[in-house]
Order: sequence, then C-alpha cells, then structure tokens
Amino acid sequence: MMPRFTIIAAAVLCLACLTAFAAPVAASEARDALENTINQVLTELKKPAMRDPATRPAVLANIEKIIKQLFSFDELSMRTVGPKWKSFTPEQKTQFRTAFEGLLRARYLNSMDGYDGEKITYTGETASTKGDKVEIQTVVESEGKSVPVAYRMLKADRWLVYDVIIEGVSLVQNYRSQFQSILDKDDVDTLIRMIRQKTEEIAAGKTGS
Amino acid sequence: MFKIVVAATLLLLLPAAGPDACAAEFPFGAKLLAPDQDTYETSGDGGRTAGSGHLPSLDEDDAYADQVGRIIADPLEPVNRVLFVVNDLILEHAARPLSAGYTFVTPEFVRKGISNFFYNLNFPVRFANNLLQGKPLAAGVEMSRFIFNTTAGLGGLFNPAGTMEAVVPVGDEDTGQTLGVWGVGEGLYIVWPLLGPKTLRDTVGLGGDYLLSPTTWIDDPWQLGVGLSALEIVNNLDQVLDMYDQLKLGAVDQYASVRDAYVQNRRAKIRQ
Repeated sequence: MMPRFTIIAAAVLCLACLTAFAAPVAASEARDALENTINQVLTELKKPAMRDPATRPAVLANIEKIIKQLFSFDELSMRTVGPKWKSFTPEQKTQFRTAFEGLLRARYLNSMDGYDGEKITYTGETASTKGDKVEIQTVVESEGKSVPVAYRMLKADRWLVYDVIIEGVSLVQNYRSQFQSILDKDDVDTLIRMIRQKTEEIAAGKTGS
Repeated sequence: MFKIVVAATLLLLLPAAGPDACAAEFPFGAKLLAPDQDTYETSGDGGRTAGSGHLPSLDEDDAYADQVGRIIADPLEPVNRVLFVVNDLILEHAARPLSAGYTFVTPEFVRKGISNFFYNLNFPVRFANNLLQGKPLAAGVEMSRFIFNTTAGLGGLFNPAGTMEAVVPVGDEDTGQTLGVWGVGEGLYIVWPLLGPKTLRDTVGLGGDYLLSPTTWIDDPWQLGVGLSALEIVNNLDQVLDMYDQLKLGAVDQYASVRDAYVQNRRAKIRQ
C-alpha cells in the first residue's frame, strides 16, 4: 500500500510542477505586467489635464515613463535592424537606438488623444516552448470598430514588450522592411540621419512625402 | 464587354494558377502565381526571407536568427515606386479634396447608412468566398446577417444584426484570400494606378470580387451600376485616406512601409 501511495503522490507532484512552471504561468505573469501598464496609461489618458494643451506635456511625460518600464528599446532596435545589427559600431548602435526611440515617441506618444471610451479585451495568450516568450492577444474597441492588437513579450529581469502586432502587421517587421530597403542602398549613418529627419518632420506637423 | 474580358481572363488564369502549374516562368524571374516559397527562392536574396509567409512563431522569433529581409518578390520595384508617387499625388490632390467636400455636404449618419448599404449589398462576395474556403458556418452567419439587415435594416441601410450575439460578425472574405487558402502563391508585388498595392494573386482575386459584386451586373440602365460603384468609392474615401495617413506618418521609407503592411495584413487575413 505504502509504495503505491508514494508513486501516486510523486505523479501528482510532478503534474503539479509541470502545470505550475510551464508556459501558462509565464503567460499570466507577462499579462499581469502588460495589463497593469495599459491600465496605468488609461488612467493618465482619462485625466482632464490631458485635454488642456498647457498641462498635456506633463501627462505625456508620465505616460512615457510608464511605457518605458514595459518596452525594451534595445530589443526593438536590434530586431528592426535584423542581421545587419552586428555590423553596426557601438556608437552607431547607441545613435540608432536614440534616434529610433525618438521616432516612436514622435509617432505614437505625441499623437495620443485623450481617452475616447476605448475598451480593451484580452482574448488569448500563446507561449514559446521554453516559456521565455509570450504573445498576448487583445482587441481594442473604439468608435464601433474593433482592432486586434497583439503584444510579443520576452523575459529579461522582468517581462518586456519587443513587438506590437496591429491587424496582423508587426511593427518590428514593418520597420525592418523599411530599414532593409534603405541599407541596401545607403550606409548606417544615412539611415540614422533619415530617422532623425523623419522625427523632425513629424514634430513639425508634416506628413507629406 | 469588360465583364466578359474579366471572366475570360479568370477562366484562363485559374487553371494555370493551381499548385501543379508552377513551371510557368514569369519574365522577371518570379514564377507566375507559384507557391510562396518558390517566389522567394527566385527573388535572388539567397533565402534570407521567411519562407512560410507568416510572422515567425515565438520559438523562431529571435533578433539575429530571424532571417526576414524581403517580404515579397518585387522585381518591378523601380516602376512600382514611380506609380506609388503617382498614386500619392492623386490621393493628396484629387481624392482628399473630393472626400473633404463630400464629407462636408453629407451628414455622418447618411455616410454610415451608405456604407452599411454597400457592405450588405456585397454579401455575395463574402458568402461565396466563405463557401469556397470550406467555411459553411461563417457563410451561414453572413446569410443570416444579410437577411436580417435587408429586411429589418431597410435594405441594408441600418445594421440591426450588428449587436446580435447569435451572429457575431465573421472576418470579411474575398477572392484573393480564397486563392491563398487554395495554395496559390502571392506572385510579385504590383502597384496599380488608382487601385494601389496588390499582389498578383490579389489582382486576380479582384477580378473575382468584381464578378461576384451585384453592382457589376446592373445593365439597365448601366449608368446606375457605374453611379453606385462611384458612390461606394467616394463614400469609403475618408476611411482609405485615414488608413493611408496612419501608415505614412511614422514611415522612414513610405514605399517599403506600405508594401510591408499590405502583405502582412493580407497574410494575416488568409490565416484566419
């Protein structure tokens, strides 16, 4: 009787371990981090100060601080460049990272409006076999339209977002296509200069080609 | 007359587009509508692309190991880039003022009604392509929504089925997606004047959508069919422009960005 009980207990323990340490836990940890950040950003967006041009920059600075906790700009930079990242000098890597971060800030952060009643539903999670990466799927509903948005995250000292996929279009992949196309013809310094120039154009309120 | 030409071209192309018929070499090095992998190998970049045509899975999604470079074969790139600029000029200098004028004189609820009407009217495109992709349940949902919106929604002007739990909207299917589901390759990337970015496969698909769309078959008087099509286009312009602006805003290379977003979005729709 006793050995049999031990075997069953061991089996139950193993099962418990498997379910406890496998992907689902990783996914829910990542999701907690993501949900927490999104909720913080929504709280900021709902502030009346967001609607006032005088106080808006302060709110945006808060939002930027919150977002930087969750996004890995090192990963974003490496991944948008792809295999050619290795041929960048350390200075070029730093310059690129700063320039690209500036572009994303100008493109996404500064164009944020106040809260318009957007609703976010979490619709699913997938994890990599090793459990070191997850994709969290959400649907954003606003003005009668629903847009699928997925976040890809990886585990460093904490869970960090390294790609955002909107309506099936990966942000990293989209920029990689552009940077690849530029690096085919031009060198790294030209690419960095073009990114800075685009950032200035957005800041100046121009969208034209 | 034009309808007959489109139908005849499709009938000629479709048998040739099957996976067995990949041998036909296209003069630009890419095979005519061959499965995606073949298209990539002939694009001459030494297999630096993700052959499956999907985003890399989480397991494969590594910064350096990830080999995505060329998203699609684009042998016509120099010509395409010129047409991209031409289309941009048309959008900025003709479509945008036209859309602004239309939006100014047409109240939002009218625009919404017209948009609902055409969406409902184009039901045959979605219904047929759901069936052709082996999605009978989705086809049934489309059918239910069509009947309900046509009757209770006064000919489709309103969308009372919109909020009904029993018939949650299914993804919009079109002929280009059906060809993708059937295993027809994307073929090369083409920027058409006015029509904008398309793969070769989606160009053929557009012919199918055209033939499945009821406005195509309004002959008496033909002006009604043309007028309705024109109204549909103008009514949708502000959404098209909105999407285009979003894409353009953060792009360092606008041509490459639009090409990539178009191809990624189409692939995602085919996977659904």
